[in-house]
Amino acid sequence: MTSPSPQQSSLLLPDAPKRRRLLEFLGAASIIATYVVLVLTQPADIAAGPGSLAALAAMGGFLLGAVLLVVAVLPTLPTSTVVLIPIAMVLNIVLGQFVGSTLVPFYLDAIGTVLVAVLAGPAAGAATGALSSLVWSLFNPTVLPFAAGAALIGWLAGVAARAGVFRRFYLVPFAGFLAGILGGVVSAPIAAFVFGGTSGLATGAIVSAFRAMGDSLLAAITKQALISDPADKAIVFTVAALLVYALPRRTSFQFPFVRRHRVLAGKGAADGAPAPKA
Amino acid sequence: MNGTVLAAHVESFRFHDADAPALHDVTVSVPAGSLTAVLGGSGSGKSTLARLLAAWLPGHHGGTLRGRLDLGAAAFEFSGTGDDPRIDPGAWAAHVAYVPQDAAAVLSTIKDTVAGELAFGLENQGIPPEEMRLRISETARLTGIEGLLERDPATLSGGELRRVAIACAVIGRPAVLLADEPLGSLDPEGARAVEDLLRRLPGEGSSVVVFSSTADSLCRAASHWTVIGGGQPGGAAYDGGRQLAVGTPGELLAGNALARSGVVVPDIAVPEGVPAAAAARTAVVHTAAPLLELRDVCFSYGAGTVDVLRGVDLAVRPGEVVAVTGPNGSGKSTLLRQLNGLLRPSGGEVLLRGRPTEDTAAGLLAADVGLLFQDPRFQLFERTLEREVAFGLGDCRRFGRRTRDGTARERARAALAAVGLEGQAGGHPLELPASARRLLALATVIAREPAVLALDEPTVSLDRPGLDMLDRAIAAATKRGAAVVMVTHELRYAEARAHRVLRLDGGVLEAAD
Amino acid sequence: MSSGRLSLERLNPLTTLTAAAAVAVITTAAGNRLFSAAVFAGLLLLAARQARAASILGSSAAILLPFWTALLLMHGLFFPEGRVVLLEFGPAAVTREGLLFALDAGLRTGVFVLAFLLFSFTVRVPELVAVLSARGMPPRLGFAAASALTLLPAAGERLRRIRAAQEARGLVVGRSLPSRLLAARLQAVPLVLSLVHESGERAQALDARGFSAPGPRSALLAVRDSFRQRTARLLLIASAVAAVAGRVVFALTGGPQ
Repeated sequence: MTSPSPQQSSLLLPDAPKRRRLLEFLGAASIIATYVVLVLTQPADIAAGPGSLAALAAMGGFLLGAVLLVVAVLPTLPTSTVVLIPIAMVLNIVLGQFVGSTLVPFYLDAIGTVLVAVLAGPAAGAATGALSSLVWSLFNPTVLPFAAGAALIGWLAGVAARAGVFRRFYLVPFAGFLAGILGGVVSAPIAAFVFGGTSGLATGAIVSAFRAMGDSLLAAITKQALISDPADKAIVFTVAALLVYALPRRTSFQFPFVRRHRVLAGKGAADGAPAPKA
Repeated sequence: MNGTVLAAHVESFRFHDADAPALHDVTVSVPAGSLTAVLGGSGSGKSTLARLLAAWLPGHHGGTLRGRLDLGAAAFEFSGTGDDPRIDPGAWAAHVAYVPQDAAAVLSTIKDTVAGELAFGLENQGIPPEEMRLRISETARLTGIEGLLERDPATLSGGELRRVAIACAVIGRPAVLLADEPLGSLDPEGARAVEDLLRRLPGEGSSVVVFSSTADSLCRAASHWTVIGGGQPGGAAYDGGRQLAVGTPGELLAGNALARSGVVVPDIAVPEGVPAAAAARTAVVHTAAPLLELRDVCFSYGAGTVDVLRGVDLAVRPGEVVAVTGPNGSGKSTLLRQLNGLLRPSGGEVLLRGRPTEDTAAGLLAADVGLLFQDPRFQLFERTLEREVAFGLGDCRRFGRRTRDGTARERARAALAAVGLEGQAGGHPLELPASARRLLALATVIAREPAVLALDEPTVSLDRPGLDMLDRAIAAATKRGAAVVMVTHELRYAEARAHRVLRLDGGVLEAAD
Repeated sequence: MSSGRLSLERLNPLTTLTAAAAVAVITTAAGNRLFSAAVFAGLLLLAARQARAASILGSSAAILLPFWTALLLMHGLFFPEGRVVLLEFGPAAVTREGLLFALDAGLRTGVFVLAFLLFSFTVRVPELVAVLSARGMPPRLGFAAASALTLLPAAGERLRRIRAAQEARGLVVGRSLPSRLLAARLQAVPLVLSLVHESGERAQALDARGFSAPGPRSALLAVRDSFRQRTARLLLIASAVAAVAGRVVFALTGGPQ
């Protein structure tokens, strides 16, 4: 029943797959272009009802960008990162609900995404964020159009990790705060044009306050996002950092990204262990 | 026997984060169509060796290998540099398949039937559906899992899961199957089925290499043994596992290499252990009031389901060791969870020192009743051994500050020393070998010095030093007047260690004859 | 929906997915209140006829009711663009335009949510994965999605086990916020630890089973499909494209936005 005798060359790994730069670029371009178009052409008068074109553009452009990013990035990731993605999704959902049930004003739905970004880099983080939204939308379709915002948060977390932010714990909340500002700005048009508002009562109240001062719907929702998102992402980044610090070194060091960019050098010093080789 | 299919020489292997090699100076060769065994105690590096042979570690993210792998005519030299060959794990597995200790890890997690799970590897090779169906039914027949094909993999028992994992490995028709602790933590029935399967495979053309810490009947059937061992990781003299002896089972059982390696040799260990156990058995004062009492306890997992416990009566006195045996699924683990309040009886009552426990939270009962879970994966959750044992010691309302609590730390260190793990207090629980992990779980129980120790299958996955530690811990507990209730499927062990052996069958507890 | 049968579980997953997307796109493009209301009612009827009607309707209500409430409060009370004021108190003003805006946005989201929940509650995930990878999606995409759905209930079970182990060692969880936060921290860390630790092992097992192998895949599972379903999918896509094109032409020629 056994297979024939092996050939030496057939047992070796082929070269690593090439990154699909073009698809990655198209994905990012689609997201940016959609945002610019939406902000420039936003309907001046919404009294006639929620605009259909803006909604279609927001839904289609952002979703297309997110899917392109996922398709571009996934085949290039090592398997050890691919198996982390479903875990990140589970953590996004389980920890989001678990912690979210005690802290009402925040979503905390990106802890797993940030965790993967820290261990495996910006590309993996972006793919995780987008995929997580796609899977979560099976339970709650309203998160589907926000896939691009989630991808952005994952990408930014990976960039922060590569820059060494997670070596110094006190820098982590600031990085989260900045990522939250960008993420909030990108997600606001979706809430405004696709759904005509935000889903939570607390966030709705904040939007109403800005509307009462005469802001346009997009401006009001963007301002609301600038109030809640940075704080939310600062918490998310901090929680993810604490979780990464609690991992055994053998586990976190199996990720080439962590070894190559000395993502967790500070931890080595804190444990009294020798610093890892660059 | 017609030549060697797989051979390896490990000059040294070091994990990325480690200072010392995990394994060095080991040579293995696997003859075609053979059953051989690699024996070694906990921490001897036998799982590392299995992974090296399976190409799960070299040239990958695992660590640095110096040495050589030969598969048929193909030969690979590793010098520990960046130029080392990078082996394709998929192509390698077509010839050398590996079933890890944790069989659940090989499941793809994306299939909702066992048949789909078996097909996963074939689908990835693009094998046409008709041939897949043929291979699946052929493999199912060979591994005896025909009845499981339509089951959801998430619902399999330990023994079934192990056989499905082996089936997933042999469906690719490998020349060599590496099985890491294939009988570990299985009940007797499951162990027998897996053992039969592994003994049958060499005749079907796959050589089998068993990696085990117990010289059990499966290993006795092997034609050749390699014994590896070394010091305890973290201990002063530790320099990783190395080859201690090679030979036939007969030669090695006669020599003393096994004794040095920490391998459990069942038929020898028990007669030797009996005098020690007799000493461990303290005299029970039968007139003393029971420490813990179950009165007519009934339990079911929800309305409309079958009663797991049906009127169980049990009284345990200070210094007494009670063993409970019984077939799989007879409710043994459920019974133990009644003792510390994790499950509450639906009828009857549980009394601790004569007082009912129904209004006391499980977290408070924990001070008096310590429970050793069957699967330590769910009992361990901290990042160092010391923090693990110190969890919940001291003031239970101040969990956040437990390691700064001096007395809690002292007790944690003492408990670690009692199971021989004091040298690894700063290590990570999940990185311990199976036996040490179980001992750590035991340390978390004895650290609290509970009045009642509830032990769920305490002997499972312990090597010989581990079994000695367990005996000593039980002896120390009974000496200070604690009672021990243990659930085990090893009848011989129960008879040697316990004052009374009871049998739980169909939810009813009675004296074993 | 065009197939005439009411149980969606018997359809090819691609058909239900295409239908859900097409319904959402067409309704949005149409931007017509009556049309949205009719589609929403139709989806409700269809949902009620499914085997899992209770779950579908329950989940939809859990998502839509808070959303509708927020919309009503937001636009019903504050809508500076509104001209026909119905009621006024202090800074808040109930306007006709605001209420209609809330109604339009609410109906649109209602259609969107219900259409996609109808899809996700009637799909068998391994079939969806098989169909998508046969259509050229990276197999890893299907893996990530399906694995998450398998791990989700397992993670909940594991949280319960970790909590049991901690209670067995003296953890008492009170009702106060700090106590619950502490319990969340104590249980989240081991959950992540064990999941990430196991994932390392799973990655190697997957690679050993050819997960990263290049080349075409085959599928054991044959997903039922038919000429009628293929035709229906083409028609659905064509109508969605036509609806969007119509909307764009309307906008360029100065029709209503």
